[in-house]
Amino acid sequence: MELWYTHLMRESIDQDSLLVQGNRACALGALDAGVRFFAGYPITPSSEIMEVMARELPAVGGVFMQMEDEIASICACIGASLTGEVSMTATSGPGFSLMQEAIGYAIMAEAPSVIVNVMRQGPSTGRPTTPSQGDVMQARWGTHGDHPAIVLAASNVADMYRLTIAAVRFAQRFRMPVILLADEIVGHMRESFSPEIAGRYRLTSGDFDFTETYTHPEMVREVHAPHELGTLIHPHVTGLIHDETGFPTNDPKKSEQFLRELHDKVVHHRDELCLYDVKNVGKGRVAVVAYGSCARSARAALKLAEQEGIPVEVLHLYTLFPLPVEIIQELARRVEFILIPELNLGQYAREVRRLAENWTTVVSMGRVDGNLITPRDIVDRLAELVGKYESS
Amino acid sequence: MSEALTLTAGLLSSREYVEVRFGGSGGQGVILMGVILAVAGTRDRRHVVQTQSYGPEARGGYSRSDVVLANAPIDYPQVQGLDLLVALSAEAAAKYSDMLRRTGFLIFDSDEISSPPLVEATSYGIPFSRLAIETTGRTQTTNILALGAVAGLTGVVSVASLEKAVLSMVPKGTEEMNLNALRRGLSLTPEEWRRPSA
Repeated sequence: MELWYTHLMRESIDQDSLLVQGNRACALGALDAGVRFFAGYPITPSSEIMEVMARELPAVGGVFMQMEDEIASICACIGASLTGEVSMTATSGPGFSLMQEAIGYAIMAEAPSVIVNVMRQGPSTGRPTTPSQGDVMQARWGTHGDHPAIVLAASNVADMYRLTIAAVRFAQRFRMPVILLADEIVGHMRESFSPEIAGRYRLTSGDFDFTETYTHPEMVREVHAPHELGTLIHPHVTGLIHDETGFPTNDPKKSEQFLRELHDKVVHHRDELCLYDVKNVGKGRVAVVAYGSCARSARAALKLAEQEGIPVEVLHLYTLFPLPVEIIQELARRVEFILIPELNLGQYAREVRRLAENWTTVVSMGRVDGNLITPRDIVDRLAELVGKYESS
Repeated sequence: MSEALTLTAGLLSSREYVEVRFGGSGGQGVILMGVILAVAGTRDRRHVVQTQSYGPEARGGYSRSDVVLANAPIDYPQVQGLDLLVALSAEAAAKYSDMLRRTGFLIFDSDEISSPPLVEATSYGIPFSRLAIETTGRTQTTNILALGAVAGLTGVVSVASLEKAVLSMVPKGTEEMNLNALRRGLSLTPEEWRRPSA
């Protein structure tokens, strides 16, 4: 059988290894997952995703459009997804802000697309070549109205590849925009990895399978039937609240039902959507919860802390939203405190705190000077917290 | 056998975790040096992560490229200390030499850096740009010549892997010129270019 991850395999250095840039891996993941429409506007540190798509899409019969701005980019993606394509765009914080209104429309119209945000330091133009995780809450709440969100976070180059594939599958299955967050380090770094990772890779949670033959366990009732152009069924697509015919409704009962269904299709499938990885389950009195680049610091800190006699549990989240409620609450019940290193002033720590504070103490560790949090920083903070706990 | 020789042969290749920084200013090809080293390291069956940092300008401004090579998967992607610093500008030499380990190497362009920092690490000062012009007539080959010297003097990657990496990364039509620069760099001997250490 022909390999389905052909785009990735072209990057081989030799039989056993690949060396790929993060942004490039993201584009290759999209191509291997079947994305055939990309519209975008270049912005550091995400531009390489667009460059690869511009070069590769025509060769596979796809369409690439460079748009006049990010508003046009996301709108073109929505248009393409109404024809049955899974469309994609990539940007950074300022461009992501411009997309927000249309992201709401895509949620309402149930138009599947993938939006990659390679975060820079902000607000505004900020520092374009500096890593940050400042858009976590923008990804969750950037658009208006009560809405669900699916937000993934990549921590390394292999993640950029396989989480892009996951984002495409989630977008198709749940018929909504899926946001993949990365940061400048992950986007621009080059990293070696084994091609085996692409063939079959299972994360701890759920049974999400990253192969082409992956089919939805069942097409559940909660996911509305698509209204696609060109299917001979006369479609009606609107940003107004609508009923199952696609036409607007002012009926209070139907309005409520529709909005609840939008939420439920995500919340009822948290098991499938929440991708994560735990190291040292139940072995530590303390835990670190991390995502993106900081998860790498946390993994290195785990080894360093072990050497120094502080057993630590590390929960690495690949899915930030929907919130992994049960996973965080289980963790909260077994540790004395949770430390959350992130490259912002505590955006995700706030979410974890409200889930976990009944059982444990949640400590935020934010860094916003444009540098990564080092393993040493994390271990020093853990040692301080353990000491504080013991002396109190 | 001189002290320099006993110190160098194959030294970085035998270490389990090696942290490298190339520092200079925009336009010198510093990031490409890091990428080529990363490709060569991958060919050597090492786990490799290459990162970079540069200012918003296309030319001028600071530019640096870091490479971590290890025998096991790499968690933290950035350098936490340096086993090898390659400095192509005085600013880079001054700014990053504090991160060098005692067992590490400093290799700098002696045409660009007239008063190099005194470090405990093994230190080499080499007029890379002048040698590049002598060898190929093109200053643009300075970075490749320097890479040859780096591999020859420290063993951070194998010569065979580096040659293949250079050939796969340089623009078409410049392969031979760059190979000449690389080989000139590889031919440099430790005795000739060693500088006193602190």
